[in-house]
Amino acid sequence: MKVYGRYKNITGKQTVQLDITDGNTLRDVIDVFVKHYPDTEKDKSRMIVTKNKMITSYNTTITEEDEITIAPPVVSGG
Amino acid sequence: MALAGDTFIIHFNFIPNRATRITGGMTMKDRYQRQTLVRALGKNGQDLLETKHAVIIGGGGLGSNSANLMVRLGVGSIDIIDFDTVDVTNLHRTAVFSEEDIGKSKALTLQQRLQQVNTNVRIKGTNQKVTVENIKDLVSHADVIIDGTDTVPLRVLINEVSIQNNIPWVYAGVYETVGMVMGILPKHTPCFQCITQSIPESKTNGIPVLGSLPATIASIQCNEAIKILLGRQPKGLIIYDVWNQCFDTLDIQRNPHCPTCGKK
Repeated sequence: MKVYGRYKNITGKQTVQLDITDGNTLRDVIDVFVKHYPDTEKDKSRMIVTKNKMITSYNTTITEEDEITIAPPVVSGG
Repeated sequence: MALAGDTFIIHFNFIPNRATRITGGMTMKDRYQRQTLVRALGKNGQDLLETKHAVIIGGGGLGSNSANLMVRLGVGSIDIIDFDTVDVTNLHRTAVFSEEDIGKSKALTLQQRLQQVNTNVRIKGTNQKVTVENIKDLVSHADVIIDGTDTVPLRVLINEVSIQNNIPWVYAGVYETVGMVMGILPKHTPCFQCITQSIPESKTNGIPVLGSLPATIASIQCNEAIKILLGRQPKGLIIYDVWNQCFDTLDIQRNPHCPTCGKK
């Protein structure tokens, strides 16, 4: 799973490996990611997570073949 | 010699016209000389920019910096819309404004100051709140809308009008030391709704922002806007964390189920 923004600093990597099984949802991916990297906890409900380059519901299920990326939440200050 | 307490008031009301000679036989039109040497732009690109109309919504940290850049770049016509006045807490991250502007309209102050920077550009400041009722009229002639707002709901509104009326826009946002930019070309790229389906309403007051960040992000935003005006298609969500030196482009595709731009 590719990570973006400050998640690269938090994880120390561009790509992280997580134990996810077929049928898990993107929400499950977030839960496992946050468990591994607690510094990302505050973003938990708003992370940008893509499945095959598309943003879909956190309830979307995934398979082993899916390409998942995770990035910090959209920022809205001006 | 000036003594403490002396007050000197000097008024500069001179606004040169387009053909005014400055130094070394150059005219105001020569201001773009270095820019037209850029191969990606050239004289044709510069001439094209001078025919374009940009609408900047918001005149704060992002909007004032973007307005400053777009005026200097030579976009032909620029509207700046903001209902707010300059506040002391704006000064650390905005361009153009000074302490004497506190309490004045952001939009009208930007118009006045930036018109002195470039008389080749038509600049119109509008001291008005952007609403569901008036947004269509405010942006109807835009070739590009530049996001200088600070709330998600207003960006969602800009996005809807953009998609409905086929007007490109460039989202930008800042928070602490992180900025994001995404150029949105209706029917070609993902829209703002595509990346915000799970984002709740944001707070507007007291958002932490490093003072130098809006200028950095506004520069990236204007680059995207210029490319759109010259016919290039923007790509992805740009994420720049200046503190951690992370610069990324997140490749995102259109969501066919997006409620705003989805392929129906």
